[in-house]
Amino acid sequence: MRENVRIGRNTSSSSERLNLIERLARSITWPRFIFAVTLTFFICSILFPFYWMVSSSFKSYAEIGGRHPVYVPGALRLDAYRELFDPNDPNFQNFGRNILNSVKVAVPTAVIAVILSTLGAYAVARLRFRGKGVLVNGILLVYLFPAVLLIIPLFAVFSQIGLKLGFSVQDNIPVLIITYLAQTIPVALYMLANYFRTIPAEIEQAGLIDGCSRMGVIWRITLPLSVPALVSVAIYTFMIAWNEFLYALVFLNSRSMFTMPIKINTIFNSPSPQPHVVMAASTVMTVPVVILFLALERFLEKGLTAGGVKG
Amino acid sequence: MKRGQSLSRWNSLQARESRLAWLLTSPTALIVFGLIIFPAIFSIWISFHDVTLRNLNDVFHAPFVGWKNYVRVVNDFAFKFQNFRQWGAAVTSVVYSFASTFLTVLIGLVAALLLNKPFRGRGATRAIFLFPYVAPIVSVAFVWRWILDPRPSGVLNDVLMRLGLIGAPKAYLATRGLALLIVIVFEAWRYFPFAMLMILARLQAIDKTLYEAASVDGAGGWHKFRFITLSELRYVLGAVFLLRLIWTFNKFDDIFLLTGGGFGTNVLPVLTYQFSFGAYNFGKGAANAMILLTILLVFLLVYVRTVMRSTD
Repeated sequence: MRENVRIGRNTSSSSERLNLIERLARSITWPRFIFAVTLTFFICSILFPFYWMVSSSFKSYAEIGGRHPVYVPGALRLDAYRELFDPNDPNFQNFGRNILNSVKVAVPTAVIAVILSTLGAYAVARLRFRGKGVLVNGILLVYLFPAVLLIIPLFAVFSQIGLKLGFSVQDNIPVLIITYLAQTIPVALYMLANYFRTIPAEIEQAGLIDGCSRMGVIWRITLPLSVPALVSVAIYTFMIAWNEFLYALVFLNSRSMFTMPIKINTIFNSPSPQPHVVMAASTVMTVPVVILFLALERFLEKGLTAGGVKG
Repeated sequence: MKRGQSLSRWNSLQARESRLAWLLTSPTALIVFGLIIFPAIFSIWISFHDVTLRNLNDVFHAPFVGWKNYVRVVNDFAFKFQNFRQWGAAVTSVVYSFASTFLTVLIGLVAALLLNKPFRGRGATRAIFLFPYVAPIVSVAFVWRWILDPRPSGVLNDVLMRLGLIGAPKAYLATRGLALLIVIVFEAWRYFPFAMLMILARLQAIDKTLYEAASVDGAGGWHKFRFITLSELRYVLGAVFLLRLIWTFNKFDDIFLLTGGGFGTNVLPVLTYQFSFGAYNFGKGAANAMILLTILLVFLLVYVRTVMRSTD
């Protein structure tokens, strides 16, 4: 309201308008100008690829294949999404199935990783035992070994075990979950152990003196106090499994078993290029992750620096 | 008597605690040793044996071949340095990792300095800055490929041609040299938020009185940045550089998705994949992976010995 009044007065008297321009000119100093330009450059170069992904997903085949790029789609056309999800579409991709596969892999990975790493992290943070150093250092090794080094022996060993027990290594979701656990548990344990150390030991000791067992203390005192940390670890492990590419590429073979990343890779590399479909599938895969992240940003940021996402 | 009793009590409590600790950590330990330590050791074994798709089902009886796999890798035209046009994966890996890590840390530093200043909308800007790091690699890699599309309808081609900077459309990811440069820029775009967060945390912990004291002594902005900010950030910059270098050196997805390892961008992790799951020569793939790990360990040793000691 006050702003309006001021603008009104400015337009009425020219001397005051000059004053405003002068004030503005004086407030723009070189450092401020450079700051604004750099900030704008950063924001544009970060957001443009995301804008391009979402906008391309709403383009028609004609808009995608034209002589010049279409910067703003003419309408929110759902051609690409229809191809992904509508069984009546001639090029139906059955992407819903791939979403389901990704969920089937990522949710159990997150749940199991949180449960197992909670137990391990509690022991590492609170209990004294022999071999703790070896365990903690062994866990840190996951940061050093490239995934591509581990996948060769894992593939060989799993096909060996599979032959003995009668299951196939490829297209086997439990096998994929187990390999994801190896990637996520070390990270989860590290984050949770750091969190548990911030809970005052006195609270737990009070519980022990009152006659709780150790497990009772963990269940009744430590876990309720750690809900935010548990949630963020669950989301991290979920995101790692949701985004994982290499292991899924090696372990999944038939189209119906593909997780989203592998399916998107397949659509991208299909003989007839359909960038709008690839962008639609990428949008479907990215949006939940970004929303989850924005909703829980406060909790999650700590984990990012704690090595929450390896890579 | 009494002291002895309490001591044994303490011992048994300690023993109980230790047993509980092992019970709690055993699933984690099993997974870490079964799926990380053991495969790493088994990988050394595979690298000295002739393991292909044929005998994968009987891997433990694979014939021992000594250093043959290593010799084959080192002599492979995709691996070794041939001339300044054909670098080979080993040299490309080192150049790519150092260049992109350096650029990542540099951009992370600039971003952290931007966000260290209070301004309206800083919280939202900070969240936006994290997008490239949080989004799935497959999505961002394919968006980049789509932006860099070699046809005239590619966005970058269109923009640069309208601005008159290039005369004809360019195949960014299919031109030797340019492709490597683009991949390095992509790495910096995707991973600078990690460096930014680490640096920002340290920036906000710098004692403000240092700057005030420097102002009193008549130091200008540049001097304050050089002698206070940078020297306070020394350790965190070193740590971020090291971590990012290890991860970039080991990274498979980014280059595989952007170029498939073609046009002078082939790096050791992608080559390992090609040997093992393209040509199904697991012995050669494992040998290549061991060479990768050896280069990394040698670098770490040198880094720890020189950098760590000199900053002590």
